Formats: sequence, C-alpha cells, structure tokens
Amino acid sequence: MIEINQLSHQFVLGKKGQQSRLDVLKNISLHVAQGGIVSIVGRSGSGKSTLLNLISGFIRPTEGEIVILDEKVSEFTEEEFAEFRLKNMGFIFQSFQLIPSMTAYENIELPLILKGMSEQARKQMTLEMMKTVGLENFKDHYPSELSGGQQQRVSIARALVLEPPLILADEPTGSLDSETEADLLAFIKKLNKERGITFVIITHDDEVAKIGDRTIEIADGELVRNGVFA
Amino acid sequence: MKLKDQFRFIRQNMKKNKMRVFMTILASAMSVAFLIVLASVAFGLHDTVIKDTIESPEVTQIEVAGKDAGNGNAESLTNQNITEIEALEGVNAVTRAKQVKQETRYVTDGYEIYSQTFQSHFPSMKNAGIELKEGSFPETKDEVAVGYHFALNLMKDDVDPEEVEYGEDGQLLPEYRFTGDIIGQTFDLEFKRMEDGEEITETVPVTVTGVLEQPGREWYWDQNVYITDEKLAELEGITGTSKAMLTDPGEAEEDTGYDTATVYADDLEAVKSVMTSLEDQGYYVYSIVSEMGQINTLFNIAKAGLIFIGTIAILIASIGIFNTMTMAVTERAPDIGIMKAIGASPKVIKRIFLLESTYIGLIGAIIGIAVSYIISIGVNLALPMILETVFEEELPAGLQFSSIPFTLVLIAVVICLGVTMLSGLRPAKRATEIDVLKAMRREV
Repeated sequence: MIEINQLSHQFVLGKKGQQSRLDVLKNISLHVAQGGIVSIVGRSGSGKSTLLNLISGFIRPTEGEIVILDEKVSEFTEEEFAEFRLKNMGFIFQSFQLIPSMTAYENIELPLILKGMSEQARKQMTLEMMKTVGLENFKDHYPSELSGGQQQRVSIARALVLEPPLILADEPTGSLDSETEADLLAFIKKLNKERGITFVIITHDDEVAKIGDRTIEIADGELVRNGVFA
Repeated sequence: MKLKDQFRFIRQNMKKNKMRVFMTILASAMSVAFLIVLASVAFGLHDTVIKDTIESPEVTQIEVAGKDAGNGNAESLTNQNITEIEALEGVNAVTRAKQVKQETRYVTDGYEIYSQTFQSHFPSMKNAGIELKEGSFPETKDEVAVGYHFALNLMKDDVDPEEVEYGEDGQLLPEYRFTGDIIGQTFDLEFKRMEDGEEITETVPVTVTGVLEQPGREWYWDQNVYITDEKLAELEGITGTSKAMLTDPGEAEEDTGYDTATVYADDLEAVKSVMTSLEDQGYYVYSIVSEMGQINTLFNIAKAGLIFIGTIAILIASIGIFNTMTMAVTERAPDIGIMKAIGASPKVIKRIFLLESTYIGLIGAIIGIAVSYIISIGVNLALPMILETVFEEELPAGLQFSSIPFTLVLIAVVICLGVTMLSGLRPAKRATEIDVLKAMRREV
C-alpha cells in the first residue's frame, strides 16, 4: 500500500539570508501493507506528524520517495496529488477540520461534490454514511451544535464517504474524552475489519497505538521501532 | 466539481458577508450605469442627427459645382454634361439653373422687391419631386415661380426701408408688405443694359404662377424668382450679353454654362454610387451623405471617449471587487485549506473565486443596465420639458438625448465582466497558493 524509501525532510528556519536548516526526518524507509492498522508513535516534535503530512502530500520531501498504491506520489504535481487524495485517501484530524458554515450533511457531502457526482447519488451516499456513523438525526446541525465525539464522527464520515482504501488519522482521539475515545477506536477497528480499509494513525498515546497491528516509533526524526507493539 | 455546485458554493460564500457583497455589487452597478448613461448621450444625439439627416429631403441630393477642366480649374456644366449625368444609373432628375448676372427689381401696384433671378428647368424640378406651396410651375415665357419668402418681403414702395418693423418670426409686419394673393400677380421685371458705357433700365412683364415650398434649412431665405429659359433668352436679347450680364455687348466672354446643378438620386442607397460615378468623371460634387461619414466619425470618437471615461469608473469599482475578494480569500482560508486537504484541486479553487468575482460583476452589470434604462427614459422625458421651460424655446421634434442600443449594453457587460474577472484573478491565485497546514492551523 505505502512504500517509503530513504525519506528525509528538512525545515528551513529563519529570515531570508539568515536561514538555517533543521532535519525533521532522517532517512526513513518503511512499508505499510494493505488492510492493516499502523500506529506511528513518538514524542512531540519527533517528526511523526511531518511523516503523515509527507504521505498526505501537504508538504514535499527534501529527499527520498513515497509510493502509494504503486504511484510515485512524491513526484506528483499539486493538481495530480489533489486528484489522488480525493480518490484514494481519507483524513481524520485531531481538531476535526469541519467547515463551520456547513451542516453535518454538507460537510460529509463535500468530497462527493468535489468528485462531481450527481445530486441524487450524493444524497444517497451521504445519508447512508451518516447512518453508519450514527448521526442520521444530526443532518442539519452545524459543527458548533455537535459534541466533540459527534464532530469527529462527521469527520470520519467525510473521510469514508468516497470509500478510499487509505485513511490517515492525525491524533484522532486528541480532543475526545476517554469514553468517546474508546468508542471511536472500536469503530476504526470495525471499519478496518469489515471494509478492509488501511489506517495510518499518528498518536502520542500508547493506549491508542495499541489498536494498530503494527507500531512505528519515531524519535528525533529517525525510525527507532518498526514492529508489533510490545 | 460541477458548475452548478460551484455556483451553489459561491452563493453560500456571498451570504457570509452580505453587506460587503452588496456594497461591491452597488459599486459595480453604479459604474456600469455611469458608463452606459454617459455613452448613451453620444448614441442618442448621433441617432437624432442621423435620423434628421436621413429623413431630410436633401439626403438624396447631390450638388454638382462644376467639372474639372483639366488644368485644376472648374468649368460650369453644359447641356451635354447634364445629358450625361441624367443617363447615369440611379439618377432620377437633374435640376439646374443659370443666374441672371445683375440685380433685378420686381414692381407691382405700389410694391417692390429686389431679388435674384434664376432661369430654371421646371420639368426636371417636377421630376425631382419638388412641390410648390401653391400654384403651378411656369409653362410659358412670361410665367415665373417665386421663392417662399418672396411675397413676405414684397414691401410697399413708399415706405422707408429703415423704418419698417419686423415681427417675432423675423418677417415684415403685414402693414408694410404685400398681403394679397401672389398667384396671378403681374410684375414689371426691371433690369439694366449697357449702351456706350451708360446703364439703361429696361422692363419686361412676368406673372407669378407658383410659390415654392419653404426651404428645408430653416436659416435659408428664398425670395428668388425663377424664370423660364425663353424669358432668359429675352433678357439676353435685350442686354446683348449672356445671362444678361451688365456689360457692353461683346465685351464679356460668352457664358452659357449652368451656375448650379443638383442631381436627385433615386434613393439613399443610390447616392453613393452616383457620387462615385460623378467623381470618376471629374465632376465636383457635394452631398449631405458625405457629411454623414464625417458625422459618424465624430460621434464614434465621442462614443469611444465616453466609453473610455466610463471604463475608468468600472476600473475604480473593480478596486472594490479586488478588495472584497481578497478579504473573502483571507476569511475563507481555513475552509480553502480543508477543501484542498480533502482533494479540491487548485484549479477548482481558482475557478470558484474567479466565478465569484465575475458573478458580482454580472449582478452589478444587470442592475446597472436596468438603472441605465430607467435613467435614459427619464432623461428623454424630463430634459426636453426642463429645457423648454428654462429657455422657452421649442426643441426640434424627435430629439433624443439618450439612447441605449444593444451594442452599448454588450460593450458595458464585456468591459465590466473583463475588469471584474481581472480584479478577481489575483485573489483567486492567492487562494490556490494557500498552504493547507497553515490554513488548518488558522495561521493564514
């Protein structure tokens, strides 16, 4: 599913003329198999979020290559990556990243609109997805009218509505209480089993990381563990 | 992403800051209305002038001043020239006249008038469609036609010309002039001849059979007398000079050419081809139609100038659109970041913002056009009334101050949309350059 080869990334810091470079990721190589749940753990500033952003295409690597579903995405143009993301990737963010002026229904419908689907097909798929995440009664609620757990469910529904083979989650439980966190993790596990969706989850929480079949630990930009959670 | 959905997005976005969008649309509408109303004055006056020209009887007339003699000088037209011109395709008639080359006085029963005398070819005048105000065209030697103002200036001969009074219309008051029926009135045509260096006054009788219509040009004063060629021959016989010139017989060169000739084309379309044929044959010609070309050029320059000034207004309004769109991009940066993260391509983002600025321009243009039409109708109704009240003078019938043809609307819409699209280009580009991560962290 994901093949990362000798990936390095540097951040350029400081003003023009007085710039310095900071190595965030150093020579990372890893493989993520299809249908699994991979947890990436590490302390704050370890580089785990940078790794996820590189896989997502939000930033471009300084060195190395990323291959997803046999496509060398690290060489994609912005347009190509946008299309690839829409087709193959779903995102779950810590702060949900819902558009506040849109209702729960409209937020979930957004990827379908971007894909250019008909209104009828959109309606059917969106309602179905709302039912899946248990939000069928919150169709017309705006994000501000939903609880944190409900907002995260909207975010998950939006990530799943186009049925992408890969979901990237950045601290998905970071804003949730422990009960809601447990519900969410169970839901992720269920989706993985029932639909065969691959999950890459970034977390600093070892408990959350436990839902992964495999755990990758990053420290100071280097891969320090690449295996089953101990 | 479908266009319909893009428009839904735009409408949703516009609703987020209704007041700002409203003010931007208002500015666009005002600038479009300014452009249209400004240019409509040139269009309106142009239409009026063209209509006035086309509807005037002179539009099918071509004045022939003479023919190139080959050495750069013009020579007057001969009967042979007239025959040639009459044979041209599109020519209906050729009226021509020879002027009696001295002052002539007409006297009858205590009234007198000094007039120019012309020998006219009355059959061609009939063919040309020239109508008389009253009476009929002369047919026999002593019969004459007179100009419209002849009788109005036929003054009592016992009145001092410096003491006469004129009415508001510029005409002699009735107590100083002839008020009877001019048709059938017999006059003594007084003229002079030279004999051994002395002027001798001669008199021949003439009878008025017709009065010409008032000249098309209001300022033109026609108190001429139009005689037959037999009558001119009689005068020439008495004076012994051509065109009754006041010189000793045999002293002056013979001059038998026509002093004026007017070609009447079949219709407006034929005027140009007849003019071209005449010019090709070396005739010096003038037509009101040739003036129309200059009028058109002049008005087209005026229209272009006014449209240019109007465009400046639209450019000023576009600053508002630029500002609105820049603010919109800044405000919506987090939303744009989310959309980009879930797969919206930069192209789609750019298109949405460009469409939004164009949409604002379009709504502004539609409102501006509607307002322009209302102003135009109002101006055409109110301004004549105001001017007539203020200047106490009746304006020419059919005068149109403002006219908005479809082409003007089209020009305004194209300029408005072009300018608004351009003003939306930079903000739209900025939207595509928004960094996803910064936007989602609300750092943009």
